[in-house]
Amino acid sequence: MSDSVVVMGITLAYLAVVLWVGIRARGQGSSSLEGYVAGGRHIGVVILFFILGAEIFSAFSFLGGPGWAYDRGAPAFYILAYLGLAPITIWALGPKVASLGREKGYLTQGDLIADHYDSRPLGVLAGVIGVLAMVPYLTIQIAGAGLLFQAATDGLVPFWLGALLAFLVVAVYVFTSGLNGIGWTNLLQGIMMIVIAWFLGLAIPQHLYGGVGEMFQRLALEAPEYLTMPGAKAMSWGAFSTAVLVSAFGGSMWPHLFMKFYSADSGQSLRKVSVFYPLYAYLLIPLLLIGFAGILVFADAPLDRPDRVLLELVVNVSDFPAWVIGLMLSGALAAAMSTGANLAHTAAVIMARDVLGPSLLRDATDARMVFTTKVCVLVVSLVAYVCALVNPASLVTLLLGAYGMIVQLSPMVLGALFLPALTRRAVSIGALVGSLVFLICQFLVASPLGWHAGFWGIVANVAVLLLWQTRIEKIGVTRVA
Amino acid sequence: MTKRYHLAVTAHFAVCVLAMVWPGALIANRIEPYVLGLPFLFFWYAAWMMVLFIGMWVAYAVRHGVRS
Repeated sequence: MSDSVVVMGITLAYLAVVLWVGIRARGQGSSSLEGYVAGGRHIGVVILFFILGAEIFSAFSFLGGPGWAYDRGAPAFYILAYLGLAPITIWALGPKVASLGREKGYLTQGDLIADHYDSRPLGVLAGVIGVLAMVPYLTIQIAGAGLLFQAATDGLVPFWLGALLAFLVVAVYVFTSGLNGIGWTNLLQGIMMIVIAWFLGLAIPQHLYGGVGEMFQRLALEAPEYLTMPGAKAMSWGAFSTAVLVSAFGGSMWPHLFMKFYSADSGQSLRKVSVFYPLYAYLLIPLLLIGFAGILVFADAPLDRPDRVLLELVVNVSDFPAWVIGLMLSGALAAAMSTGANLAHTAAVIMARDVLGPSLLRDATDARMVFTTKVCVLVVSLVAYVCALVNPASLVTLLLGAYGMIVQLSPMVLGALFLPALTRRAVSIGALVGSLVFLICQFLVASPLGWHAGFWGIVANVAVLLLWQTRIEKIGVTRVA
Repeated sequence: MTKRYHLAVTAHFAVCVLAMVWPGALIANRIEPYVLGLPFLFFWYAAWMMVLFIGMWVAYAVRHGVRS
């Protein structure tokens, strides 16, 4: 019991520091909509690096990453691979998006799409898809925070209260400080995550096996199937490779990543950030080590939820003192909260600017839009919180759906950036067919060859787009300018 | 930037992608030799992160200068 109080005390102190840093950042930004949304477009390399980084490390990295290594073994390397390859899209797209944004005043993905294809409804549609995809993502962060609190304090802080605490902090600093608040707190949270992850990643194998090398030697003897592909659950190379490709190249279509391109002060600073991006993968390595450590420990009584492997090892198996557990909780919460803050911020901006702006609030002043965006931060956080309370489990399925949908936007966005010849109809129909094929492969029939459903979606998307573009547009049927 | 620069950057990215998915990763799909205590396939992925980083750093330095 007293241990739980120590754990809680440390974590609450950490939350207070995050809140203080987040609110303090307010003085440094302007109060215009552009200031609130894109940090006035003058966010430098260091902060941008942590903004991008802190949002890819989410509750999933801390809980799901070790869970994959524990449950499947080698296929978990797909997380390293897609993280390492993600900067390729930043390198290739980022500078172009940033300069277009500066030149034409874009703040969201919808702005770019609506303007380029000269169609407000298409922009609204992109906005709606974006918000729908992000709410379940945010819900997972909130549910993760609740789970972490509950497990680490031994039930002293129940699920609903832990989730509420973490996300009140996030909502308050995003509400008051916008992107500047996110930048400074992510700097803090990023450092916190890295230190904690490496400490645990080395300490747990040391404690249980006498070292990382010794741990893998024993695994090679007793459970070698975990150390190479196809892993313990037989994930085929096709499934592995398409998962890597879809995640690495489709992930940049997530609105919360895409919008950060606009906030860079130059294309050069975006390239500079992307250079360091593969190094983020080194934060995941210790988390994977923790997952591998769980394989032999729980060999006789497998965990029914692999996601809990890190929590079980830290709280129940290794006899860490309470303050270590408190720091672990703070680090994992940092991951959940920093991603959550970005998601809440982005979803609110999109809701205000892409969805409400062109419809209900057509003649709103700039001040009114800032206020609306802030209210949306609270609304989105609240919706996600309620979802987390109602049914956190089934949302993983929803998130998978959201991911495959978001990827279908990529031909449309690439067209707007690099291929001006592509027509509105071709990209719309491509996106529509791609989404349908994805949904069918994800939820109705088994995905062909067991490959990633989003991959089949994007294949269909591009095929239909090309067919429409080359055959039908050429004939010259109703070409709308 | 010159055509050669873009070609080199593209080639670097293409090699890194191929190394991490089928069929490139097939050649590393084994436990031994251990490197830094890690089984070889694990080390393979960790090492390519460094290759990606160094390649992109060089590409950045060539384009924008080392000090900026």
